[in-house]
Amino acid sequence: MRQSADRKPLPEITDLTRPFWSAAREGKLVMQKCPSCGTIDFFPKPWCLECGKREREWVEVTTRGTVYSYTVTSLVMMNLPGWEKDLPVILCLVDLDDGGRMYAQLVGCPPEEVRIGMRVEAHFEQISDEAGIPKFRPL
Amino acid sequence: MRGKVAIVGYGRTPYSRVKPGEPVLTVDEYIAWAADLALQRAGMSKNDFDGQGLAVAHAEAAHTVNWSASVAETLGISPKVLLRADQGGASAAALLIRAAAVIDAGIVDRVLVVGADTPLTIPSVAPGLPLSPERSRGPYWDFQGPFGVMGATAQFALIQRRYQHEYELTDEQLAKIAVVTRYHASLNPGAIYRKPITVEDYLNSRVLSAPLRLFDCVPIVNGGLAYIVTSAKSARTITDRPAYLLGFGEVNNYYHGSRTRPDVTYTGFVKAAPEAFRMAGVEHKDIDLFQPYDDYPFIVVMQIEDCGFCKKGQGGRFVQERNLRFDGDFPLSTDGGQLSGGQPGGAIGGFAPLIEAVTQLRGEAGERQVKDVSITLSLGFGGIPYGRPGRSCAAIILGSEG
Repeated sequence: MRQSADRKPLPEITDLTRPFWSAAREGKLVMQKCPSCGTIDFFPKPWCLECGKREREWVEVTTRGTVYSYTVTSLVMMNLPGWEKDLPVILCLVDLDDGGRMYAQLVGCPPEEVRIGMRVEAHFEQISDEAGIPKFRPL
Repeated sequence: MRGKVAIVGYGRTPYSRVKPGEPVLTVDEYIAWAADLALQRAGMSKNDFDGQGLAVAHAEAAHTVNWSASVAETLGISPKVLLRADQGGASAAALLIRAAAVIDAGIVDRVLVVGADTPLTIPSVAPGLPLSPERSRGPYWDFQGPFGVMGATAQFALIQRRYQHEYELTDEQLAKIAVVTRYHASLNPGAIYRKPITVEDYLNSRVLSAPLRLFDCVPIVNGGLAYIVTSAKSARTITDRPAYLLGFGEVNNYYHGSRTRPDVTYTGFVKAAPEAFRMAGVEHKDIDLFQPYDDYPFIVVMQIEDCGFCKKGQGGRFVQERNLRFDGDFPLSTDGGQLSGGQPGGAIGGFAPLIEAVTQLRGEAGERQVKDVSITLSLGFGGIPYGRPGRSCAAIILGSEG
């Protein structure tokens, strides 16, 4: 596993996943959209989860979404120790307005104010020369 | 398939938290130990499995492309059929279903099923954290680790939070499950945590990933388990107390609703459990013992609902209203469950609900023996898919009469 200088995990980037990491590095959120049935899905898959077509298109999607669920993590478990200084971490499942659901962190929000159904918007943090990552703030 | 095969022996090694001074055993040693206990109980020899079946649950420590054959080599058995399951906590139940199929097809007459893991002594990429190289490879990790997902507890905390948003489930109801499993553990010499706890102890335990607390989590242990399954005909020659397989149901990678945005408050047991009940020809009121896959108390609540003991959203109230003790009206997790009994890693913990059911059906549960138990429901629940609960769900109904 690759890790950053501050001991957080970095992705092993493949041709399949590169468009996501590169776009996030440029401040954009892209997801795979099936040209056949229109399904938008996250994370990247080798074919469409709904119809099984292997043709995949990457499309830019809106950075706005809704908190489907959240947890406030106060201990680093099953991850790298670099997260220690970020605790407590607010981890969400976010439903994006255009489709797809993703694990993502919510920042700029006191833990006691997070709510399911909260409207959020992504911004992007560079995590390596090749990759950025979306994090969300309350809208 | 009802009544065509039976479990005739089982074994569970003592569990270890690898405290200083304790011997550190390998997976191979735990497998041999558990198999030895099962064989002794059945009055069989490992040589009885030459030309028969050997089934191996994948261990996290199993870094080889032909793990089941490697186990056969370690044990000196030449099986005709090798079965291997890599369904995490559902492996033990899934292997019983596979074994039943190859026995019913007449390919073999008996299968030795083994599983062990040493999660406390695996190589880790993060010192002090149980993060094996296997867990931190591939797209599944790449879209979780860098996002700050802290393993199963954070993943299940998200599911519980959503559940509690949609339905009523109180901390006291969850505490009741943790307290009763600990009480049962106090009656089970093999359980890892045996000192009784109170509702207050649960409520005061440290919050790890809200809403999940320390006492919501299973204690990870090193250990091994095994069982022996044979045709019903052979079973009756081996023991006077076979535990017959009456019904089973299984679903893998279940989505409730959309594949991209499923409803996470349901598990695949809504499909697997009705299949098991149908095959067994029994009803909910016939179940004398429920052995859920209790990796977290709220998962028990979801399993009670999804198996049909009550309606969706009423599991919390069900837990509150019923007596869950071994001598109560809805006994569950009489071995202490995994919550207090211990979990030999996410790969092997699923043996425990099955083996406790067999122990009870054979009347060998000692102080925690359920009175007049003749039909049990055990669950296997394995793997955590991205943003959802439980990749594999398998439901097993066993009975003392074939």
